[in-house]
Amino acid sequence: MLRRGTIRPARGLAVALALVSVTLTPLAAEAKLRIVATLPDLWALTSAVVGDEATVEVATRFGQNPHDMEIRPSQTLLIRRADVLVRNGLEEDAWVDAVAESAGNPRVLRGAPTVIEASQGIPVLKVAAGFVDRSLGDVHPLGNPHYTLDPANIPIVTGTIVAALSRIAPELAGILEANRRVFLDRLTEADRRWKATLAPFRGARVVSYHDSWPYFYRAFGLVEAGIIEDQPGIPPSPQHLVALIRRMREQGVRVVFVETWYPPAVPNLVAREAGARVLVVPQSPGAVKGTEDYIRHLDHLVTALADALR
Amino acid sequence: MRQWLRGLCLAVSFCTLVPGTAAAQDVESLKRELDAMRRQFESLRQQYERRLQELAERLETLQAQQAPVTDPQPRTAPAPAAEVGARPEEGPSLAQLLTPRQPFALAQPGRSLFFDIGASGDFIADFTSNGSARRRDGTFNGRENRLFPREVSIAMFGRVDPFASAAIRISAGEEAPPDGARRGSEIAVSLEEANATLLALPLGTTARFGLMRPRFGTLNVVHMDDLPQVDRPNVLTRFFGEEELNLEKGLEAGLILPTPFYEELSLGVFDGDNETAFGRGSLRDPLVLGRLRNFFELDARGALQLDFSAGTGATVDDRRNTVAGVGLKYKWAPTTGYAFPVVTLAGEAIYGNRKLRDNGGTLVERRAERWGQYLYGQVDVDKRWAAGLRYDWTERPTTPGREWALSPYVQFKPSEFLRFRLQYKHTAETGSVSRETDEIFLQGSFVLGAHPTERF
Repeated sequence: MLRRGTIRPARGLAVALALVSVTLTPLAAEAKLRIVATLPDLWALTSAVVGDEATVEVATRFGQNPHDMEIRPSQTLLIRRADVLVRNGLEEDAWVDAVAESAGNPRVLRGAPTVIEASQGIPVLKVAAGFVDRSLGDVHPLGNPHYTLDPANIPIVTGTIVAALSRIAPELAGILEANRRVFLDRLTEADRRWKATLAPFRGARVVSYHDSWPYFYRAFGLVEAGIIEDQPGIPPSPQHLVALIRRMREQGVRVVFVETWYPPAVPNLVAREAGARVLVVPQSPGAVKGTEDYIRHLDHLVTALADALR
Repeated sequence: MRQWLRGLCLAVSFCTLVPGTAAAQDVESLKRELDAMRRQFESLRQQYERRLQELAERLETLQAQQAPVTDPQPRTAPAPAAEVGARPEEGPSLAQLLTPRQPFALAQPGRSLFFDIGASGDFIADFTSNGSARRRDGTFNGRENRLFPREVSIAMFGRVDPFASAAIRISAGEEAPPDGARRGSEIAVSLEEANATLLALPLGTTARFGLMRPRFGTLNVVHMDDLPQVDRPNVLTRFFGEEELNLEKGLEAGLILPTPFYEELSLGVFDGDNETAFGRGSLRDPLVLGRLRNFFELDARGALQLDFSAGTGATVDDRRNTVAGVGLKYKWAPTTGYAFPVVTLAGEAIYGNRKLRDNGGTLVERRAERWGQYLYGQVDVDKRWAAGLRYDWTERPTTPGREWALSPYVQFKPSEFLRFRLQYKHTAETGSVSRETDEIFLQGSFVLGAHPTERF
């Protein structure tokens, strides 16, 4: 016969266990893969191939400058809950290492099989050669990381993402590949449209504020006539601006690309002096409402550029 | 009958056309994949060619360096001993010293170093009155009216293995000279940090062991060159010393709690080597520190951090000292588009409850309850320029008296690796001694190489 005092804790324990099991059951039933992409372009591409088969979240806000990131605890919380982390692979999101190491989640640590480096297999442009130090500014030693701006790279990026996700969740492999094919079909069609839109402007010389666009230029036959930032991440010197304005006048540059997160004063001055037009554009999906999808983002870029060059 | 035949024909043609369309789609997708593979192959080919070219150049360089060994006529003959004042075997000759050499590199091209190295320098010029310099009551005690290196450090950090990371930081700086000694000639070098963090523990915990800056309050984890103003707030230096709680040896565990918002709990056990606040220096009566840090994204632009800390340990003379603190930091920043201006409001309050042995000769114990606080606001006008104002008010933790200070400052950052600050500080003390001090600080800080990411 049990004493009264021992029954109460036993009952309490049973109630607690029941509560725990009730709380945990929906979690187990849900069991959807949680994917976190570091940047909006990777988020858009991952979402395109994943569809409804997993949740895909992004660690930066749409329209946020990934170069000057100040990491916040809310990002740590997001990455702590991730099953898979998709990252740029060319150090555009190097800040995520610090977040991952404070998150207490081994799945997001660099080197884990659940971390996808999306740049694998990309023909990387502007890889730093020779002696590299900070006299070159905040340079990316592994090469220019803005590779998703060339639609020709997207089959490689989505292939990398799908291959890695298929290893992590083999049961999704078929669906992911099917989604990818559908997306690439849409992309092929859109790419034809973009190339036709920009065909009259092949060889046009363009200046940008930051060195974000070499892949985009290559994709659409544009020519980089200069960059306002003398060195990446360093505001330009007056001498550099004077030389750039002279070169722009000589070469008949008509458009200055400026990402939405850079100060407009200097590009406005350069454009005014050189007789060009400033085109403020989002460098990644989602910065402009309605461009969260990768194809819509490129649609927006191509249309804006064609309008400016007309 | 005709209708039946027509239906049959339609069915047959449908069956023949559908596979054809599907096959055409397959061919298209195969072509695309083939294109993608070709591009990948081309990329790999280019990478290998580049690598081969680098190796060939390196081989040529090495062969060129080895050549003088077999050369009967050395290109740089050793200078006569009389010219350099020493025999050649005692050291390099003048000619050798003047000959350009290959830059020193920690990692040869094509080889990895496996960890990051960063160096930083933090130099301060402190201008104040002669009276204050004589009394040595300036913010940087004993270094008044001097330009001095406060902290020059080399940090190495990276992953140890898949389960741990580590950081080592060695610092040098000009120390306050002992009373009566010649001013400011001593540069002290010390091991500031040497710790490993275990990253893959159960239940999502992390643990750090070794020599570290413990998690306590808001600013304790911030290195000297990363402080929001030139000097640490008065309440922190009065309660814990010029470098706050630093150089503690022990073990610290952290856990992000399963709450809807960010809530991190950390708990640490340390020797207790901070002589200003604790200093018992024994694990038999350790310094125990805990912190609960909360973070809330208030809206698209505003975010708030709220931390609560507590610590208890024994002082050098084996008396209990308990401290508690609350810190608050609010930041308003446009998170999309151009990310400026940024407005920061932050403050911290510290309460101390300490047993003291009365110095009146009676050896009677008494309890001192003291507190202090600081509050600052800063506006980052753009990426380069910022200005702010800090208000300090604190009691002295062991002696009667209190002080307040007001410090306006401006900051200029040519890049994220170089920063200059100009700060004025007016301090007024009351109590056993009443005096006012005016100081002007100029600060120049730089970072070389890798540096940890900026945090909220």
